[in-house]
Amino acid sequence: MMNGGGGGGQKKRAPRIEPFRHRVETDPKFFDKSWRKLHDAIREIYNHNASGLSFEELYRTAYNMVLNKFAPQLYEKLTENMKEHLEDMRTCIDAAQGGLFLEELQRKWNDHNKALTMIRDILMYMDRTYIPTNKKTPVFDHGLELWRDTIVRSPTIQGRLSDTLLELIHSERTGEVINRGLMRTTTKMLMDLGLSVYQDDFERPFLEVSASFYSGESQQFIECCACGEYLKQAERRLSEESERVSQYLDVKTHEKITAVVVNEMLANHMQRLILMENSGLVNMLVEDRYEDLTRMYTLFNHVPDGLTTIRSVMASHIKDTGKSLVTDPERLKDPVDFVQRLLNMKDKYDNIINVSFSNDKSFLNALNSSFEHFINLNNRSPEFISLFVDDKLRKGVKEANEEDLETVLDKVMMLFRYLQEKDLFEKYYKQHLAKRLLSGRAASDDSERSMLVKLKTECGYQFTSKLEGMFTDLKTSEDTTQGFYASTSSELLADAPTISVQILTTGSWPTQTCNTCNLPPEIVSVSEKFRAYYLGTHNGRRLTWQTNMGHADIKATFGNGSKHELNVSTYQMCVLMLFNSSDVLTYREIEQSTAIPAADLKRCLQSLALVKGKQVLRKEPMSRDIADDDSFFVNDKFTSKLFKVKIGTVAAQKETDPEKLETRQRVEEDRKPQIEAAIVRIMKSRRVLDHNSIMMEVTKQLQPRFMPNPVVIKKRIESLIEREFLERDKTDRKMYRYLA
Amino acid sequence: MCTPAAGRGRVHLNVGGRVFETTAATLACAGRDTMLDTSWNASHDDAAGGGGGAAAEYFIDRDPACFAVLLDLLRTGGLHVPPGVPEATLYREALYYGLLDRVRAARLGDFDGDRLRLSASVPGRAPGDGTAVRAAPDGGCCVAHGGAVRVYNWMLDERRPVYYPGHAPVNDAAYLDAATLLVAARERPGRRGDDGGVAAFSALTGGLRHRFRVAHDRQPRSFTAGALAVDDGGGCRVFASCKGRFNEYGIGVWDANTGEQADFFYEPPGCALGDADRLQWLDGTSTLMVTTMFPRTDSSFISLLDFRDKSVVWSWSDVGTPASLEDKHAVHAVVMEDGRSVCVINQYENLGFLDLRSSAGGVRWRSRSKLATGGKTKALISEEVCYPKLATYGGQLFASTGDTVSVFSGPDHVLTSTLRGSQGGAICDFSIGGDRLFALHSEENVFDVWETPPPAII
Repeated sequence: MMNGGGGGGQKKRAPRIEPFRHRVETDPKFFDKSWRKLHDAIREIYNHNASGLSFEELYRTAYNMVLNKFAPQLYEKLTENMKEHLEDMRTCIDAAQGGLFLEELQRKWNDHNKALTMIRDILMYMDRTYIPTNKKTPVFDHGLELWRDTIVRSPTIQGRLSDTLLELIHSERTGEVINRGLMRTTTKMLMDLGLSVYQDDFERPFLEVSASFYSGESQQFIECCACGEYLKQAERRLSEESERVSQYLDVKTHEKITAVVVNEMLANHMQRLILMENSGLVNMLVEDRYEDLTRMYTLFNHVPDGLTTIRSVMASHIKDTGKSLVTDPERLKDPVDFVQRLLNMKDKYDNIINVSFSNDKSFLNALNSSFEHFINLNNRSPEFISLFVDDKLRKGVKEANEEDLETVLDKVMMLFRYLQEKDLFEKYYKQHLAKRLLSGRAASDDSERSMLVKLKTECGYQFTSKLEGMFTDLKTSEDTTQGFYASTSSELLADAPTISVQILTTGSWPTQTCNTCNLPPEIVSVSEKFRAYYLGTHNGRRLTWQTNMGHADIKATFGNGSKHELNVSTYQMCVLMLFNSSDVLTYREIEQSTAIPAADLKRCLQSLALVKGKQVLRKEPMSRDIADDDSFFVNDKFTSKLFKVKIGTVAAQKETDPEKLETRQRVEEDRKPQIEAAIVRIMKSRRVLDHNSIMMEVTKQLQPRFMPNPVVIKKRIESLIEREFLERDKTDRKMYRYLA
Repeated sequence: MCTPAAGRGRVHLNVGGRVFETTAATLACAGRDTMLDTSWNASHDDAAGGGGGAAAEYFIDRDPACFAVLLDLLRTGGLHVPPGVPEATLYREALYYGLLDRVRAARLGDFDGDRLRLSASVPGRAPGDGTAVRAAPDGGCCVAHGGAVRVYNWMLDERRPVYYPGHAPVNDAAYLDAATLLVAARERPGRRGDDGGVAAFSALTGGLRHRFRVAHDRQPRSFTAGALAVDDGGGCRVFASCKGRFNEYGIGVWDANTGEQADFFYEPPGCALGDADRLQWLDGTSTLMVTTMFPRTDSSFISLLDFRDKSVVWSWSDVGTPASLEDKHAVHAVVMEDGRSVCVINQYENLGFLDLRSSAGGVRWRSRSKLATGGKTKALISEEVCYPKLATYGGQLFASTGDTVSVFSGPDHVLTSTLRGSQGGAICDFSIGGDRLFALHSEENVFDVWETPPPAII
């Protein structure tokens, strides 16, 4: 047997070689030691005792901890440690009584901030390496989060803090003086903790409290204050809140608190304020209270729909006052005053809008549409406006200043723009202009022309072409008259009176068909010569004498020997010339020999015999009205300080009712061809169109001149159908077809 | 925090046994949030009572040689590293003092294609060939190799690689910002469901942030993501060419931050979008250029998409060009920086231009644009053909051909520089960003780093 030596004995162990393992043992207590060092340092820092610390050593310690992968533990320990310190601080803050609470909070906040900066510096290496790769909050921000959670949002402090702040603000609102610096630092702290902290813990309750405060206050004010007073109050409150924000709140709060004040003080009471009796908007407008109006505008600018409301109240007020003005029968008596009042009213509101409503476009539009509305309520407005212009241009000499006249005319043009029946205005203007030109009473050619230019720019060439024709006529007439005298030998005209003939183109002038009166023989002879001359130079023309429109200068020697030059109308001249051959004449005799229409003759006799101081004739019996049997004779005792005496005609400036009717009819007549022309123009381009569209298009085309009446349009269409310009569609009766 | 008293005083620093004397003002140059500046204020505040005099000495337990370099940086603003100091050590020390950003700024001058200098060649260790290299905004880069993306910080230290879930092969990568990397991966046949697609990763840790999924008719579908682009103008959107299993081809659009799918541009007939191998976002016109190029497809196709009204604004294709020119294919394209033209290059390294303002014109090939052919023989010998690529940066046009990158400058794109670095074979991809140019070579898996040194002072 071969038993292994020492059978059953010890097995020989194969020598095992231990691998050479040099284990790098880090000090097992390394973390605890290092942390203890930092822990102590942090305690010293919180105890304001950091001077003995070596920053370099602490930085290196933290660095080594991070290098040895202890960063997560370090971060955790740090959190724990800071929390403990903050808990201590909270106890101190809790203990602070009354007014000291905020101050204590502030002191601790400063301490924590200072400490946090130092801790952050020490742990900077961790901030740079461990934090970003692991998506942790950096040390400083983490410290702020801890402050927020342990202090600001702790159950004992959170409510107390916001209550204290709100109470202070309330007492400041009621007029007390508070420590604004402390308020500022406290709100700054909340902002530093993040916008959400500021908003949730302070701003939201602040806005709620403010809303209820201002809702109460506004309720109280509105009961006892006038509108202007109330608005002043609101303005003051708004500026107070702005100042508060700038003093100790976040800028972003400005918009929100402004909205609260505006809502509570203005928006909720808007209707009541604007419509307030005796002091509301209407009152301010009436009394031109620019300051109050400005305030109202700026304040309600913040309120949604605020300006719209002001605007509509203003517009309806303008419409009402305007309506009562234009429909007041008293005002209709004096057209010049009527228009002057309109102009004054326009000026007043222009000023208000300019000064108080910052020249707001929408307000200007409202003003314009209101004027347009009420001016057209009175269908005599076009006539009155023309009369006003007539007044201004005639009396131009008195006014003297051309620039002033220019501004007045510009303003009148504003009113003119509002007119719907511009063609009616044109009619009247033509009449008035003719009178001015023929009687030589146009004050200034320049002003007349400038008015024409204004009308032209407003309404186009067509509108003024006839008016311009009138000026041309006058110019050529002058030349013709000169030519007449130059070509006719002086012996032929030796004794005859001098005549000046205005040749008026038919159509350009508002000529009325009138029966020519019998002119005195002297005049007849010279005018026949002129007719011969004129027709000799111009072939194929026809001259008709418009005796109702001329005027004459006659030299008169009265019984008492006084000599005067009388400036009279052609009719008056005819009458006066009769007295060269007879001393006494009855009305009927005068009428027979002159053939002047009765109405005109009466008017002309009235002005000769009944106007005080200008009684060239005397009448028997002395009464205002003229009967057929009344007799007239020359007033021998006629005296006047002046050598030249102007005898006016008792003429109604305003149209009499029948005249008015006539003018209206003529205008209606003139409109017919215009409407027809418009219809044909439209149909020519469209070929086929339904009734409603024609109505619309025609109205649109003619609107700048006048508002066509739908009934008239319809009649015109029918007339055009009769004359075979148009036809109705065979199948659809509403359609019209253009026949070329 | 800055105390004016400290501004005047002289300071003695004992760093690792070597005493440096400097002024507090010089140290304050380091700026807030650095160890030197804060250490100064903190110690000053606290030691004011004890030290009193200006000649207090502070001890810092660090390497003095590196501190000398860093102090020099604070004094002069320039970085000069003596031969004895390894860069890695210097960077470590800079990190300790909190001066790393300053070192980086001093290290990398403003990028200029004509003054580039080869600063490093980093060998790769990945098994396969690299498919793409991408420059990070901070000077780092990443290289996509098969199933992994290798990430380097600006000091060219390798971080943890990024793996697409399931190690799906990577087609493209893009930096959303310096800390976020987007990866597009291929779906592999035979796998069920969740394979391929686009995902965002942390470039620092390699961790997955979120995936960008595609749903068709509210049904989530798996897909292969080809090329990536980022709308960095402010829309913060991510685009990728997508190929689904059920012919759902097109361009996917996602919100970069949330990963929510924002849109999907389905491929209209006659437009190859899902196969696209390159996307480029054009800020000026808010359009996306999509190119699908030979040899991936038989012919090349370029289009500009407007996502606001889902329209193809402009397109060009070489389908139907005469047979004699058939072999001249555009293989890469880039929109010029003025946004008015597209530059293309063919496999024979000719440059051509397409006008974006008219859709009619063809490619204007430049007659004598044949590039330098120094390393060409080698490129031809190698089995893997690397097609040329293009890029624009700072008004210059860059083209990689063979083992060379050519730089063209000026309005007429005149060849001004050629860059040739390692013997790593042909360049298969290059990328410019963070003041650096990275060129990935196909054979040795090495990438070259080109930098612009600070300009000469006088």
